[in-house]
Amino acid sequence: MLKIYGSVMSRASRNIWAAEECAAPYELVSLDFRKGEHKQPAYLAINPAGKMPSIVDGDVVMAESLAINAFIAQKYGKGKLWPADEKGQAKCLQWTLWAAAELEPVAYGRLREVLFKKEDERDHKLLAELAERGKPIVGVLDAVLQDTPFICGSQFTLADLNVACVMEYMVRSNFDISPWPKTAAWYKACAGRLGNMKVQEMRAQAMKVAA
Amino acid sequence: MITLYGKAASRTSRNLWALEELGIAYKHVPFDYLKGDTKMAEYLTINPAGKVPALVDDDVVMTESLGMNLYIAHNYGIGTLWPEGKAARAKCIQWTLWAATELEPPAVGRLIEFNFKKEHERDQKNIDELAEHTKWPLNTLDAALQRSTYLAGAMFTIADLNVAAVCEYLTRTKFDLTPWPAANRWVSECLARPANQKVNAMKMAA
Repeated sequence: MLKIYGSVMSRASRNIWAAEECAAPYELVSLDFRKGEHKQPAYLAINPAGKMPSIVDGDVVMAESLAINAFIAQKYGKGKLWPADEKGQAKCLQWTLWAAAELEPVAYGRLREVLFKKEDERDHKLLAELAERGKPIVGVLDAVLQDTPFICGSQFTLADLNVACVMEYMVRSNFDISPWPKTAAWYKACAGRLGNMKVQEMRAQAMKVAA
Repeated sequence: MITLYGKAASRTSRNLWALEELGIAYKHVPFDYLKGDTKMAEYLTINPAGKVPALVDDDVVMTESLGMNLYIAHNYGIGTLWPEGKAARAKCIQWTLWAATELEPPAVGRLIEFNFKKEHERDQKNIDELAEHTKWPLNTLDAALQRSTYLAGAMFTIADLNVAAVCEYLTRTKFDLTPWPAANRWVSECLARPANQKVNAMKMAA
């Protein structure tokens, strides 16, 4: 069975979302990074870099959240998250790398300022620069979404999931996506999916426990 | 047949390397972003963002160099660049994303400082910071290569190709890899492969 190591507050949330979408049976092994659980020998045996998330599934041991989702989609989501045709599969690979290479540096840069710093400590110049850099990137996605509701066409796939979970950083860091109406509608459709609602529920629960 | 767009002296080299490894027939259209080729209408229909590389393979149109290499390996390299077995395949996807998220940001940062700026324009503080940010991923890579000859096991796969292609930014900018002996040996070996040598010749010829 698929075991996901990490916290629902971390990038592991992306993998929980994917597992939920595929209705794949999985076990979440919660690691609390504030307690340094990801630096304990038991976890370092799975991921020597001590980063979250990781998965173990049979003899498969792997890291890198977006790559893990490609694995989950291929194993548990054939014909759904992982499209049946070569063309759709190519798009899933392309947009997974695009999310990592193009969107995440900007999105994570913004999230870090907003999430880990108090309002008066934030580097507003950096936030504005990242917002400027983000605009043409969101524009690339928006162009693709002009004709179809989802990236590969009419169906929600891994491409949407991996891009949407990074786009969430943009939204959470108050980047206004409304000037790109197609992207805004797409994001709403992705974020509103049951798989993601479940993740949000788990997060709310984790925050309640922490508080 | 695959048509690959982008001149050899760009990230297109990664895809040329993969195609040369497989020895399959392909067409190379060496569009040069410096000459504005990639902003022409002909190319923008393929990649509206105007970036290279891109590939066309029948009805497949695709960008993102490392993603394209997964596609190439997956569709044309089963048993060679795309290994048999779920565990090894998982490693190929993992290391590809790792190359993009962990190694490429500091590596491309160095390349920008050393190859796109004149000596007196270089930002030494940035260079020092990038060197620090390079150490962590190299520790991870070295540890993996102490455990196995190649990243997905005993065989050279797309995992090695994608990571080594990014490591090349480090060797090209004279980053000293000797403190990571396993990674150092592996980088030299990967970059010395005949397919990559052929790509290097294409870079020089252009």
